[in-house]
Amino acid sequence: MSSHTDATRPLGVGILGAGPVTQAIHLPSLARLGDLLTVRHIMDVDPSVAGSVAARVGATHSTSVEALLSDPAVEIVAICSPHQFHAEQVIAACRAGKKAVLCEKPFAMNAGEAARISAVSAETGVPIIVGAMHTFDPGWLAAQDNWGDLPETTHTIRSSIVLPPNARFEDFATEIITRPAGGTPDYSDPEVIKGALRGGIMGLAIHDLPLIRRFTPDFKDIEVLEARHVRPFGYVISLRTPTRAIELRAAMNNTWKPEWSFEAVSDAAALRIDFTPSYVQAGSATATLTEGTKTTVLGPFDHNGYEGEWRELAALATGAKQPPTAQTLIDDLTFALDIADATVASLETQHAVAEGIRA
Amino acid sequence: MSHTYTVKAAPEAQAAGAVALVVASLPESFGPAAEAKADVVVVSGQPGWTIEAATAIDEGARGIVVVNPAPENTDSLAAVAERSNTAVVLDQRWASNPAMPAAEDAVRTLAGRAAMLDSVATAPAGTSAGEVLADHLAAVVRVTGPLDRLRVLHRGPQGYTATAVLANGAPVALQGILSDARPAALQLSMLVDDGGVSLTLPEPSAAWPARVKVTGPHGELLLPTLYESAHRATWRRLKEHLDAGTVPSDLRRFAELTESVSTLT
Repeated sequence: MSSHTDATRPLGVGILGAGPVTQAIHLPSLARLGDLLTVRHIMDVDPSVAGSVAARVGATHSTSVEALLSDPAVEIVAICSPHQFHAEQVIAACRAGKKAVLCEKPFAMNAGEAARISAVSAETGVPIIVGAMHTFDPGWLAAQDNWGDLPETTHTIRSSIVLPPNARFEDFATEIITRPAGGTPDYSDPEVIKGALRGGIMGLAIHDLPLIRRFTPDFKDIEVLEARHVRPFGYVISLRTPTRAIELRAAMNNTWKPEWSFEAVSDAAALRIDFTPSYVQAGSATATLTEGTKTTVLGPFDHNGYEGEWRELAALATGAKQPPTAQTLIDDLTFALDIADATVASLETQHAVAEGIRA
Repeated sequence: MSHTYTVKAAPEAQAAGAVALVVASLPESFGPAAEAKADVVVVSGQPGWTIEAATAIDEGARGIVVVNPAPENTDSLAAVAERSNTAVVLDQRWASNPAMPAAEDAVRTLAGRAAMLDSVATAPAGTSAGEVLADHLAAVVRVTGPLDRLRVLHRGPQGYTATAVLANGAPVALQGILSDARPAALQLSMLVDDGGVSLTLPEPSAAWPARVKVTGPHGELLLPTLYESAHRATWRRLKEHLDAGTVPSDLRRFAELTESVSTLT
């Protein structure tokens, strides 16, 4: 759906969920885009959080999804609530006739939900994008314009993420008023490890799985060779398709030194993208393309993928750009779910083998 | 003034070990042999190298340099070298880099707290994956010590994926990538809760320095860079052993590595 919008008037934004991601990522990004977008409404189930966060940007606040969706000042809806509410809220936002919807990843928890969302988006014409911020990063987009046939010829893909706890970068971005309570998991419990790995894939690896899928034409034939947990939170996962070796690494620890890279290598060319950490407005990723002794460096550019997402939403809402196909979103989601399911199954097999050996 | 040792190398070892260049860069220590008999014999590490090295010892060599040794049983050669007090040094593409002692110290200091060790070896397309894996393991084991539960998850014409654990149970992931896209090199990263060690080892074809970085709560330290190839560092070690009359530990270390490689599926 598209409609005429006064080019001089910023589009109104409503945000469902006012937790750390909204406070430290979306509000600072939107503050840089005041000529395009303005926050009109903040909803959170905690009224004091909703009120406090809304007051920062002079927006209305409420504690119900319905109140935000019925607010005529809200033209674009961002869904930053807990994962389990995403599908229902995306559908409600489409049905409310909004101009565009941003859903934080994952946009659904299973393929059935994804198909329902796709159908509603098609029926209502409301464009949806998923907050896979790295796909909107100018460094990634510049690489895309220069990588030639690398997505077809790649044989090895790596995603490596080393991050300090989120609070380190949240505190560089804003003044957070609430944080979810952390626990101390029992890593001797196989169920805890399974949950941690599933959470690692659907909460952390998922940032780069759309990038990996872009380089993996046979993504539907993914196989987990081995999956291991990294303490306190992280993973080492070796994947294969018939044509690709894919390695996923992540560690969240107490280091000050972040690293977030994506690599794709063919016989003759390689791409490495170094992303800036989430939360801080530290510019874009830097992409490095190499062909033997020839190296091309693209970036860094002045904004990151989160700001890129919001620029894209503004363009979608005004009809200046076309949204990604629903199939792309569904494929990205099912790719992540397939890896998460296969990882858990692989752990169950490893556990059964270990138990068998003990018996 | 110390002794200058004469050197003789088979043609394939001469090229693989850049022997003429190394000898030219250590002119007070080594020189080409004018006659058939030489103090130091350079052997290519193709299968059968242990027999060739033992033969050279029997013929009177005081020092042996083995270039890129393939995994094989070294028991017999070690016995011959010990008996004749001959110094056998191994010139390995990554494990012989002069930065390795400092890297070993850095890794072993933190290994008890390791959360993960990730290492990637890149070699030109068309290289044997098994050969790269052997070189890769030689370097990793040199800094970590023996790895537990080592196995190969996948091996093919474009690389390999291997898995192991450190002594404290932390996962070890080894990947080989065969590609002409990037310079051949070995990268290793061991993470601990508040930092870690990263190591980048170049090919020995030039005196590119390895990079060893130690990261901790107070920042990151780049250890001093050494602009010396793995080949030259090997020969300097040989010279020290020859002068001192000592037997290096290369064969013993290599036996441990061969044992690890032989268990791989």
